[in-house]
Amino acid sequence: MITIKHLSKRFEKLEVLKDINLEVENGEVITILGPSGSGKSTLLRCLNGLEDMASGEIEVAGSTVNTEDSKKKQLNAYRQIRLHSGMVFQQFNLYPHKTVLGNVIEALLTVRKWSKEKATKKGEALLERVGLSEKRDVYPSRLSGGQQQRVAIARALAVEPEVMLFDEPTSALDPELVGEVLAVIKELAKEGMTMVIVTHEMEFAREVADRVIFMDEGVVVEQGTPDSFFNQPKTERARKFLNKM
Amino acid sequence: MDIVIDHLPFLFQGAYYTLLITVISMLFGSIIAAIVAVARLKGAPPIRWIARAYVSIIRGTPTLVQIIIVYYGLVDFGIRLQPLPAAIIALSISIGAYLSETLRGALQSIPKGQMEAAYASGLTPVQTMRRIIFPQAIRIAIPPAGNTFIGMLKETSLVSVITVTELLRSAQLLIAQYYVYMPFYLSIALMYWIMSTGFSFLLERWEKKLSIYV
Ligand SMILES: Nc1ncnc2c1ncn2[C@@H]1O[C@H](COP(=O)(O)OP(=O)(O)OP(=O)(O)O)[C@@H](O)[C@H]1O
Ligand SMILES: [Mg+2]
Repeated sequence: MITIKHLSKRFEKLEVLKDINLEVENGEVITILGPSGSGKSTLLRCLNGLEDMASGEIEVAGSTVNTEDSKKKQLNAYRQIRLHSGMVFQQFNLYPHKTVLGNVIEALLTVRKWSKEKATKKGEALLERVGLSEKRDVYPSRLSGGQQQRVAIARALAVEPEVMLFDEPTSALDPELVGEVLAVIKELAKEGMTMVIVTHEMEFAREVADRVIFMDEGVVVEQGTPDSFFNQPKTERARKFLNKM
Repeated sequence: MDIVIDHLPFLFQGAYYTLLITVISMLFGSIIAAIVAVARLKGAPPIRWIARAYVSIIRGTPTLVQIIIVYYGLVDFGIRLQPLPAAIIALSISIGAYLSETLRGALQSIPKGQMEAAYASGLTPVQTMRRIIFPQAIRIAIPPAGNTFIGMLKETSLVSVITVTELLRSAQLLIAQYYVYMPFYLSIALMYWIMSTGFSFLLERWEKKLSIYV
């Protein structure tokens, strides 16, 4: 589903990602852990072109972007990737001027050119799935953080993505609201959704992940099953990181 | 007072032109502002530079001078405009510069996450601008733009110098005829005031209506 080959990324002089190589199988749930500034968000954002790579190649949901390709080819491939993936942000990023339903169906109307009726039907089903049917006509500012993030998940699911990318989906939430969001993500995992999740929730990572990736200073330091990673981390850096948690 | 009442229809006609010039200039000005604001934020360097020069020149020169240049100055280039079109063109160009600054600020104030969420869900840059960024920016720009609009209403009095018979000039014409000053000037002052507060009131209601999502 995802293949990353020799991905490097710089911000000016700062090397943020250094020769990353990674594969994610269909239906696999990956959690990315690592200290702040290790490049987790940047890696995720390279997967759908919110950041462009300095060098390397990615393949997501059947579309390939290589930095050697022409600009136009890259843009087209990113566009295909975006049509087949969904992203959930730490700050939710809901559209404040649209209702909950309006948020969820925006891409269906604008990108897919669905009719209003068809999109509304789909949107209502998605809201039901995240348990927010009764909020369909409310504006996001009236929702709790947990509710907003569930709407954001429904919005990302609208286009029937093959992959979901989560960037610390619960980090901006009050502790008592974390559970409801994680429950939705676990549900998706059960349904077989391919997911890449950056998170600081260790318990959750352990429970939901098929594989844990540990990053530090722009490299994948180690990876493995949750059990092996949490019980017997292979590297000193991972041990240090886990001890601090 | 009687003399004013006798000539109310004439003054009303002046007020009508004042309103007409204000509304039309505001409309064209908004279109110019949208183009210039986007050009300054997203344009290629030469386009960005031109947009910036336009804003700088207009904001750095008196509106009265701009009006005179459009009406009298363009004649040198073989362009002879009627007073009313000249007034509307000059004021549109002028207001466009001010509004573009307002709009640019509003566009820049939209958090980057909005764009990213839209891009991530497959919207193109143009769709993102049209569906996500612009609607939010316009709501932010409305209160300051409303003030510009009311300022504009008063600025229209400047076009009396190029013989557009708006409210001020219609009073001046009557004064020239009857040699009575205060009643006419006071009446038009009152009419300007009524129009300004009327617009303020409408704008406030509009703002309230648009603010439901906050
Ligand atoms: N737009 C940017 N411009 C310049 N530097 C950036 C930019 N975005 C990220 N960085 C830098 O790149 C490095 C990696 O950032 P990134 O956000 O990927 O880390 P992270 O692992 O997600 O951290 P956190 O856990 O704090 O979210 C950091 O040093 C950060 O300061
Ligand atoms: Mg991050």
